[in-house]
Amino acid sequence: MRPERRRRTPLRRALRGLAFLAVALWSLFPIVFVIHASFRPPATIFAVPPQYLVRPTVQNYVELARLWPEFFGSLANSLIVTLGATALTVAASALAGWVYARRRGRLLTASAFFMVLVRMFPPIVITLPLFPAVNAAGLSDTHLVLVLLYAAFFVSLGTWIMKAFVDQVPREFEEAAEVDGASLRQMLRHVIVPLAIPGMIAAAVFVFVFAWNEFLFAFVFTTTRARTAPLIISEMLGSVTGVDWGPVFAAATIQLVPVLLFVALLQRHLVAGLTAGGVKG
Amino acid sequence: MRARPIHYLLISPAQLLLVVTILVPSLWVGWLSLHEASFGTEARFVGFANYARLAADPYFWRAFLNTVVVVNVIVYAELLLGLGIALLFAGGLPFPRLMLAIVLAPYAISEVVVVIMWKAMFEPQAGVMQLLLGALGLPGLEWAVDPVHGLALIVLLAVWHHLPFTFLLLYAALLGVPKELHEAAKVDGAGAWCAFRHVTLPAIMPAILVALLFRYVFAFRLFSEPWLLTQGGPARMTEVMAVYLYKAAFRYHELGLAAATGWAMLLLSLAISLPYLRAVRRRMFADAA
Repeated sequence: MRPERRRRTPLRRALRGLAFLAVALWSLFPIVFVIHASFRPPATIFAVPPQYLVRPTVQNYVELARLWPEFFGSLANSLIVTLGATALTVAASALAGWVYARRRGRLLTASAFFMVLVRMFPPIVITLPLFPAVNAAGLSDTHLVLVLLYAAFFVSLGTWIMKAFVDQVPREFEEAAEVDGASLRQMLRHVIVPLAIPGMIAAAVFVFVFAWNEFLFAFVFTTTRARTAPLIISEMLGSVTGVDWGPVFAAATIQLVPVLLFVALLQRHLVAGLTAGGVKG
Repeated sequence: MRARPIHYLLISPAQLLLVVTILVPSLWVGWLSLHEASFGTEARFVGFANYARLAADPYFWRAFLNTVVVVNVIVYAELLLGLGIALLFAGGLPFPRLMLAIVLAPYAISEVVVVIMWKAMFEPQAGVMQLLLGALGLPGLEWAVDPVHGLALIVLLAVWHHLPFTFLLLYAALLGVPKELHEAAKVDGAGAWCAFRHVTLPAIMPAILVALLFRYVFAFRLFSEPWLLTQGGPARMTEVMAVYLYKAAFRYHELGLAAATGWAMLLLSLAISLPYLRAVRRRMFADAA
């Protein structure tokens, strides 16, 4: 259904405008609330009656650095884990997605079906046997265990997105290059990789956002050195002396702004990936 | 083209990841569920005793009931809101890139931060939403004390967080409905509701079903939101199945009980997705022939 230009009465137009406003408010209000609160003087955050028009301050950020210095190390952990998981997922998905788009065979189809099937398995279930196994293997509290788990939970979606994108590229492109006598390396460099890049970006967006934000696995499998930013924030929230909201808002703002910009910039790829991986899944 | 051994090699990294980190541990949980064990102790075969204990545990049934109610409310609230926003957007969108970015924004936020936002806005004494409710003459949300309020807040923040997914699937489907169909209905004298009911709705029904199914399967895993908001309290009244499982394993060290819960969650997830899986399998093997 394309946007249709039927004649609209002023009342109808006003109502639609209000509806758009309500949607924007619903989506943005909690986000703006946290970012705004992070710049308010601590004493005014929960003042009654509320005080919104106060002079902005970085006091909460200073407090965050003083009370929770490990938060900044956890940002580095988050970045390492996120980049590792994204690279692994995109590489494994690109290889598999290409094969599933181009080749046929009963065993291959069975393995493709298996990929769809495991998407339905609840992640929390595997923590039970993996918790002792990871400890026994000496992988507890490492970046590697999170990278492997995050990649495992997104490699199916990634493969599906890749397959959907490769399906849209005519097979003749590769065949023409082959006829022209291109070597495998030339084929890869000039034909396959450029054609696969939009799919790879779309697959990357999903793992990136997931890995940057993930809580459950970080909570179960890391204790000190490999703790990610969401985990440290959850610890700030759960302190026994009551929540010290100022630093919490500052940490939340630092954690959310980069990924918010990332999603806004790569929105087109997110939409393409979701419709490819979801509906045609 | 037929697959050759090299192609099986190319899919092996993805397949290995799934087999080693998801399939084998999940099957292992099935084995664990038939044993009595704690972390670090020898497992002892007990048959279906863990399942019998689950069935006799009122806390398990409370968690199960909470899950069923919460998941259904979340999924259908998202469907209605998502469909409403998708229809609004499909009817002509001012500043399309900006508006889409705004609606997708919650997707980018961590569950932990989502909990912070709503917990702060519903802070019992001075949260902005509590003040707003008060100004409207309504009672505040006593989510830390009253289990029903606690679950309501969990639903609210889950819907806020996951609405972009449902919205996007439905919006994409709406844009794919041929305009001619809608116009033909209009020419035949159909009203707006009639055209929606008999033209638009059937055309986007496949997308609605896929969105519903995926949201059922994913909402069923709900853990972080209740865990970070109430830890299942007060008095274990706001636990969902994943929280029950986590507490059984990591707080009470009842690995067998946790494994039985886990296996129940796995089987229920597969049962929910069965119609989808069957359709996918039929199409895949038809393609492969």
